Order: sequence, then C-alpha cells, then structure tokens
Amino acid sequence: MSDPSSINGGSAVAMMGKDCVAIACDLRLGSQSLGLANNFEKIFNFGHVFLGLAGLATDVTTLSEIFRMKTNLYKMKEERLIEPESFANLVSSTLYERRFGPYFVSPIVAGINSKTDKPFICGFDLIGCIDYAKDFIVAGTSSDQLFGMCESLYEPNLEPEDLFETISQALLSATDRDALSGWGAVVYIITKDKVLFLIYFF
Amino acid sequence: MSASSFAEGKATIASEYSSEVRREPIEHQFNPYSDNGGTILGIAGKDFAVLAGDTRHTTGYSINSRYEPKVFDAGDGFLISANGFSADGNALVKRFQNQLKWYHFNHGKKMGIRSGARFIQHLLYGKRFFPYYVHTIIAGLDEEGKGAVFSFDPIGSYEREQCRAGGSAASLIMPFLDNQVNFKNQLDPESNGTKKKELRYLSLEEVLKLVKDSFSSATERHILVGDGLEIMIVTKEGVRTEYYPLKKD
Amino acid sequence: MFLTRSEYDRGVSTFSPEGRLFQVEYSSEAIKLGSTAIGIATSEGVVLGVEKKVTSSLLESSSIEKIVEIDTHIGCAMSGLTPDARSMIDHARVSSLNHNLYYDEKIGVESLTQSVCDLALRFGEGASGEKRLMSRPFGVALLIAGIDEENGPQLYHAEPSGTFYRYDAKAIGSGSEGAQSELQNEYHSSLTLKEAELLILKVLKQVMEEKLDSNNAQLASVTKEHGFRIYKDEETAKIIEQLAENEADEPES
Repeated sequence: MSDPSSINGGSAVAMMGKDCVAIACDLRLGSQSLGLANNFEKIFNFGHVFLGLAGLATDVTTLSEIFRMKTNLYKMKEERLIEPESFANLVSSTLYERRFGPYFVSPIVAGINSKTDKPFICGFDLIGCIDYAKDFIVAGTSSDQLFGMCESLYEPNLEPEDLFETISQALLSATDRDALSGWGAVVYIITKDKVLFLIYFF
Repeated sequence: MSASSFAEGKATIASEYSSEVRREPIEHQFNPYSDNGGTILGIAGKDFAVLAGDTRHTTGYSINSRYEPKVFDAGDGFLISANGFSADGNALVKRFQNQLKWYHFNHGKKMGIRSGARFIQHLLYGKRFFPYYVHTIIAGLDEEGKGAVFSFDPIGSYEREQCRAGGSAASLIMPFLDNQVNFKNQLDPESNGTKKKELRYLSLEEVLKLVKDSFSSATERHILVGDGLEIMIVTKEGVRTEYYPLKKD
Repeated sequence: MFLTRSEYDRGVSTFSPEGRLFQVEYSSEAIKLGSTAIGIATSEGVVLGVEKKVTSSLLESSSIEKIVEIDTHIGCAMSGLTPDARSMIDHARVSSLNHNLYYDEKIGVESLTQSVCDLALRFGEGASGEKRLMSRPFGVALLIAGIDEENGPQLYHAEPSGTFYRYDAKAIGSGSEGAQSELQNEYHSSLTLKEAELLILKVLKQVMEEKLDSNNAQLASVTKEHGFRIYKDEETAKIIEQLAENEADEPES
C-alpha cells in the first residue's frame, strides 16, 4: 500500500441532473489504516465552478491553492468568473505540465455555465486526460463501489431534490464499503441561481 | 559451455546490448492459479433464496466462453457457486456433491444448509496452505424454511448473511445490496429523518429485479462480467433456473 | 463338539468348516458373565439401568462406571469385559465430536452406533490397508441410548460381532434372559419415562442376587429437555422407595 493515491483515502462523485448538477465527497483524512481527521473537505469552489479532488492529501491541498491562484488571475485578466468548461481545460493543462512527476489526484469538476445555463460535469486522470460524461463521474478509493452505486441508482433528468437523494445514497453506501473513505460527507446541489449544501456527520 | 555448467543449473546468457556474457541460473516458475473473472450474487428472502452468476468465462482479456454456468444445484436444496479460479471452483463443487452423497449413505437424511456450510468450511480449510482460489457462496432454506445465504473466504471463514456478492464485480454490487436489501443509509420518510427505514423481507419479484439490475450495472462497468445471467431460485417446491442475456461487448 | 472346535477356535479370523467364527461367538459368552444392563425407549426419552456388583464392603461403589456419557444427547450402558468398552467409548466420543465439528449438528444415534460397530471387526490381521487394532474381538456389549431430530428417542444394542439392532426394550448381561422376558411382558408403546424408570428397577430387582439399593444400581436417561443424565444416588434411592411403595400397594398375584 505504497500507492500514493490511496495512502490518505477519500472519494468524490459528481452527477448531472435536469438543469442542475451535484457534487459530493467524504470527509476522511487518514494515514493508511489510521484515521486522522473527519473534516477534510475535498470539494473547492472557484466562483460557480466546483472542483472535487480525491487522492494524495498534500496534492489535494496544493492543487486547490494553485487553482485558487489561477482562477483569481483569470478573473483579473478576463474580468469575469471562469466557466466550468474553461476550468476543466485549466485543470487538464495544469496536470499535464507535471506529465512525468504527476500530482496523485483524481479531480472531478461540476458546475453550470452562467452564459448558457448548461450543466457540466467531467473527470480527469492524474495527468489531465478529460473524461466528459453525460451522467456521473466518480473518483477516489471507493471508485469501484461508486461505479456500482451510480450505474444502478442513476437516471437522467432528475430534479434537484431527487438528484440530491441519489448522489447522497450513492456516496454514503459506497463509502460504507470502503475502509479508506467515509467519516462524514458533504453534498452540493448546484442550480443556476443557488447552491444547496449539506454535511453528513457520523 | 562446459558440461559442468549444466550440472550446476547455470546457463550462459549473452546480453542483447553488449558482449558481456553472464552466467547465472535461469529460474522457471509454475503458477498454479489463474483468474477466470465473473461475478456471483446470493440473496435470501422470507421463504426463498436466489444464487445468480454471469456466464462469461475469461482468462486475461480473452473470453473463453459466453455460456459456462458456475451456479450449481448440488442437491438437497443447495445452490452453490465458487467464483474465482474456475478449476478450483469446479473441484470444490464436485467434491461437495460427492461428499453429500456419502452423507446420505452414512446418515440417511437430507443435509441441512448449516451442516453444508460447516462442511464446506472444512473442505476449504483442508487446503489452508494451497487454497482453492475462490469466493464461495451457498444458498438454500434453513431448518425453519427461511431463505439462507452463507458466504466463505478462500480458506473457509464463513458467515450467514441476507445477501452477498462475490467475484470480480463484488465491490460494485455489494454497496448497492446494502442499500437496497438491508436499506442501509435509508431513513423512514414518515419520521422526518429521525428513524431508520425498517427492515422487511423482499418479495421474489423485487429480489429478481435487484439481481438483474446488479448484473446489468456490473456488466456495464466491468469487463470480466457479461454475456449471460443465470439465476437459480430455491423454494420449498424445489430449484428452478432462469436465464437472461447480458451485453456481450 | 469339543473336537471340532479345538481345531478352529484359535485363529481369530479363521472360519470353521461349518462357517463359524468361534472367537466371535465366544465373545458373546463373555457378555453373559457380565452384570445386567437394561434399556427402555419411550416416547419421552430413553432410560438405562445397570446393576453394579459391589464385591466388597470396602469398595467405593461410585467408582464402578457402567453407564457413561458419549455426548450431550447420547449415553450408553455396558456389560461384559468393561475395560474393552473404553476404546469403544473413546471412538464413539470422537465420532460424535467430529460429526459436530464437520456438520454443525448432533450426530444421529444410528450413525453413532454404526461407527462404534465399525470398530468391532478390526481384530485379527488387518485387511486392505485398515490398521489392525486388536488381537481379539471385544468382550463387551453396549446399550446405546440417545435422541436425535429425525428419529426421536432410540435404543440400540451393539454386539461384539459388529451387528446392532434397535430395540424398544433390551436387557443384556447375566440376568438378561429373565429380564428380557419380563420386559416382553411389561413393555407397551405408551410407557412414560417415570414408568420406564420403575420398570427397569423392578426388573433389575428380580434378576439381581443382592438386595436392590442405590449403591448397587444406577439409572440414566436421555430426554429432549435434559439430554443425557446419570441419576444421582439420592434420586435413584427415591425411585427405589417408590417401587417398594407400589409393590406394597398391589402385592404379587
């Protein structure tokens, strides 16, 4: 278990609904089998774009700061907030810069384009290859479990309330079957004019 | 090369990239195990139990067969499947069926599901140091007529459960089962989020729906699962089999 | 008769020209020298009773063990060369424990009896691969009493020849002839456990030379509720008392 991406544990998932998206993560931070913290959030927002980062904790923190810097520079240069599609490409190119010494993370992005109102989600591998999905994106140590949950629970065009229920059940049940994930969860439901936010404590 | 180097089990190896000639022993290793993929799933109901498995048989990325059953009716209302390395799985099932006959000869009665489970533990633990590379699940009815599922690790640790997935896609299916069979993480809608959803037995129709959903989801996301789904159902009337096609890609 | 036997009763595994195995037949004679043991199976359970021959007033009667536990649901009484029974009992206990280990259930009474009888013919030169265990046949017979899920309370008689039969009521040992015919008269299928206890003591009393008391007789039973249980001397004494009362009430006709 010297695989860097599964030392600290943690998982994240994003789902697309009807005119809405959802993104969720667990709160565990561990060191192999030892649990260290139950408040380690893996979702960060840059304006109306949400980034989930599962993987090596140090890289999660570092990357979140890098993207904070880069999105702020973007905001100053462009005089507007970054849109999800552009942010996805920013993530991709940032990761590929470290092609031969990568950050050990599996990022996911969720948001609604403020111009077009189109919901957007995507995922990446650790060197930035983008996975555009129409349904859901999973990441982290419980990705197998999340795939199983999402593939069977998900249906297209869910309203925000139902999407919330679906993503919560998927994440909670998946992380329950993974020793490296869990210890609480955070769920964000994003519609074009508001963001709902819920924390599960255990 | 001198004759003595044979005797020492050494061979001359010339490197492809230099003229350097090294003399060192060549090691050969026989790997007695392989993985034939596939996944299985057992669920116990009030008065029935099901044991299902996909029918794809693989080695590596090659598909050997699209219909190779791995769930068996062992007799006495036992369903058994040993998923993993299929040669070991088949050997285990055959050995169990053989011993079941001996049990009939020696004791003149049907074997109960608990006895079957305990016996399989000994079959598995008997090979503690050269294990059967399988995840075993049995299903049947207990002495009260209630559905029963027992699952085993490769060396015989076992447990009775309401449901269990085994094999390649077990990690995909198991959390779904927790959620849909044992209602894990579900709350009673009436209670305004203060009470857990109460457990109840699922009907056979509900269970079959979950089994089919589980396997079509696993087929979608796991390359070693697919082709066909064979479900065996045991009730007090006996054992029956149903087959449903799965995606073949 | 003597002449023909003398030729063929030496080797334990040699047939006589008439097709008899004399050593096996003699072993049955050894049992007729043993103390009497009786078993009765009722629908409520099985009762075993034995006569203990206390040969000296200095002998501690509790050290005479003729009824033993095999498992919680099976017990047995013996008659004949009781030391021979030790290896049979050991084998029976191992069989029962192993069955429970391998099958997570109690062994059937018939299966247990069968496994003891399998041992009975392991004398003489060992046949195909089977290890020779003994130089001669057993000189002891067992009354095996037990209860199982399938067949309820059962009583088996296991002989040194390796054959066994199931009985409703059976007597073995020196007083067996008289005792058996008495059981024949008195047994009926609706017998209660209490009645069986009394009947055993009554029959023992008839065939014993000494006066029946809790020192020279022992009772045991196997019931669904309590499993196998050897009665305490005080308990046996009480039943003997009751037997005496019964007999006083209705004197022998």
